[in-house]
Amino acid sequence: MTNETVGKRYMPEISRREIDELKSTMKAASQKVMAENIERMKKADPKRPQAMKYFDEISNLFGKRQEEIQAEKEKGKKVIGYMCLFAPTELILAADAIPVRVNSGWYDTSKLGDRVVPVEVCPVIRSTIGAKMIELSPFLEQSDALISVLTCDGMTKLGEILSDYKTIWGMNVPRIKDSAHSLRFWNDEIKQMKTQIEQFTGNKITRKNLKEAIEMSHRATKAFRRLQELRKGSPVIMGRDAMLVNQTFLWDDKQRWTEKTEALCDELEKRAQRKDWVCSPDTPRVMITGTPMFWPDNWKLPTLVEEANPQGIIVADELCSGERILNDPVGVDEWSMDDMLNAIGERYLMASTCPCFTSKDGNEDRINWLLNKVKDWNVQGVIYYVVRGCMLYAMEYTRVKKALDKINIPVYYLDTEYTREDVGQMKTRVEAFLEMLTARVDI
Amino acid sequence: MKEPSTVKGLEYWRWQEYHRVMPNKKWTNKDIITAGVDVGSVGSKAAIMINGEAYSWGITRTGSNSPESAIKALDYALEGTGLKVGDLKYIVGTGYGRVNVPMANKAITEIACHAKGANYIWGPSVRTVLDVGGQDIKAIRIDETGRVVSFLMNDKCAAGTGRGMEVFADLLQIPIEEIGDISLKVEKEPEPVSCTCVAFAKTEAMGLLRKGWSREKVLAAYTRAMAVRMANLINRVGLERELVITGGQSKNKGIVTRIETILGVKTLPSPNWREANSLDPMVAGAFGAALFAKALYDKAQKA
Repeated sequence: MTNETVGKRYMPEISRREIDELKSTMKAASQKVMAENIERMKKADPKRPQAMKYFDEISNLFGKRQEEIQAEKEKGKKVIGYMCLFAPTELILAADAIPVRVNSGWYDTSKLGDRVVPVEVCPVIRSTIGAKMIELSPFLEQSDALISVLTCDGMTKLGEILSDYKTIWGMNVPRIKDSAHSLRFWNDEIKQMKTQIEQFTGNKITRKNLKEAIEMSHRATKAFRRLQELRKGSPVIMGRDAMLVNQTFLWDDKQRWTEKTEALCDELEKRAQRKDWVCSPDTPRVMITGTPMFWPDNWKLPTLVEEANPQGIIVADELCSGERILNDPVGVDEWSMDDMLNAIGERYLMASTCPCFTSKDGNEDRINWLLNKVKDWNVQGVIYYVVRGCMLYAMEYTRVKKALDKINIPVYYLDTEYTREDVGQMKTRVEAFLEMLTARVDI
Repeated sequence: MKEPSTVKGLEYWRWQEYHRVMPNKKWTNKDIITAGVDVGSVGSKAAIMINGEAYSWGITRTGSNSPESAIKALDYALEGTGLKVGDLKYIVGTGYGRVNVPMANKAITEIACHAKGANYIWGPSVRTVLDVGGQDIKAIRIDETGRVVSFLMNDKCAAGTGRGMEVFADLLQIPIEEIGDISLKVEKEPEPVSCTCVAFAKTEAMGLLRKGWSREKVLAAYTRAMAVRMANLINRVGLERELVITGGQSKNKGIVTRIETILGVKTLPSPNWREANSLDPMVAGAFGAALFAKALYDKAQKA
């Protein structure tokens, strides 16, 4: 048996046998969880759109998409993984490589991550470390290189820890974004990333390829926005279904995802015309913001909200695992290489509402976006979701609450962990919040 | 959590299970009789109301089986009233076992029910309710109708809750119903124990006892730590007067007095539950549930 950990700076010694055993147990458990989540989503909407079938299939982390990527890899394509949304996926696509986001939503692997970092560390990080330890995540395993964007402390060190196994490209994001200096700095990072991707893949990013990649993401954003637009009115899609659609973009083929999302929207538009709502139009409309939530295990909160008594419906989210993925298109003026690269830089930096940013006005962009979403999606209550160890989101809560208080929108701070143990207690919190929103039991 | 052990045949943690029928109240077939069943992690409470007025209730220890505990509590509340479950027009289940109340027509969270129940017991001036349950603490802000405006709940551990107090009663061999008064029998309030986690606090308390601290002093230090935790929760939700305390710990003078001292605010005086015609704040959740039951029944009749 070879010692896998020789030369490892972080990862502990773990035998091949233990890796295989843990991987097979956790994979089986995960397949069960995914199937159960899908079953519950189907049950929540007996007239669930036909188009959801596709997303159910693609949401299987150990299924069709893994096989497709494997086949592409065998033909020589490179896979470039990333942990934060700041990774410029257009550059990856333009170099004919496959972008995949590799953050882990598995609860069980966070316990393994405890062998490397203390439990105080954000569970998204611990779980991703644990997933790597036992090679559980197909997309992480398939990644030939990882883009590690230095946003929060956890993400900063995650890349360093994963460098025990993978080629890591760090991207240094400026923490104050609204200055010409920051943008210049970031645009240099983007240009450097372009060179790195070109060298690694052996494919030159031409003006033509990049234009095509940007246009591809424009089409995806258009489909995405169409879907979110449909969530503004009386509910035609369960929040969980829409969230799953959005999240599958992170690993799916972009062209196909766009087509399937458009097809879903066609169905939903018809549904809206028939006034065939997924739940009563007076169901309280909830928005979720805070720590990213990753499929499959960390589907806990959306499930609780939509299966609660009284029921809630998630009409919007402000999550980097959700609506932040595709909301903002790359705004190109002239299709020169320089202009395109600058536009990519701007899109990823300026549009981001990540709490890693501050300025003389603090992270005002996030506040404004939240307030606009509340208004446009007619949100009645906000759940501010934070996992323990997620410092930046936890710290911004006070400000978000004050802003929402001003417009008289109730917000509930829900803190949890990567665990199933607190589901009962969370259920009470969520239901009490929804009761508060409905206030329909009057005396 | 492990069941407390019995010491020399004495179960110090055991609190009084009882039932009460309000004197001078009678029901007729014309009345709307409703019930609330609050299955908590430690105690199960059931209350019967006649036209939205408290009539009888029963409090028992929650067993390992929620549905059985619910039935037991409701039977206890019905005892001596001449009423049968079939006479109840509408039943609302609440508490952590709310979905496991077999005869309930509907489940409502204990947060909404304690809010409503506190409004019933103390009237419309109540704005902040601290509910100290067996396994969690909730600080609830309410309006003049008893409707929840906002709330906070402690995290998943049992620190600072009724269950923690039971563990301490057992450890110090002091009957739980005397624990509050005894904790106040110290000349000078000691520093609170440093850790509110029941398991660690227990270890810390044993260390203090070995150091020669009196049981009163150790108890005071623990109660103080719990009270600080509860006061923090109240401050976080935002204290607005009047403040009241519901749940089993409302009977613990050591907790109530200390919360008042820390916050610098008097709570509205609790009814003395030992008196024959007095309400019991431990039953607030069940009262609230029975009131919701009445409202839901009325609504269904109108529809």
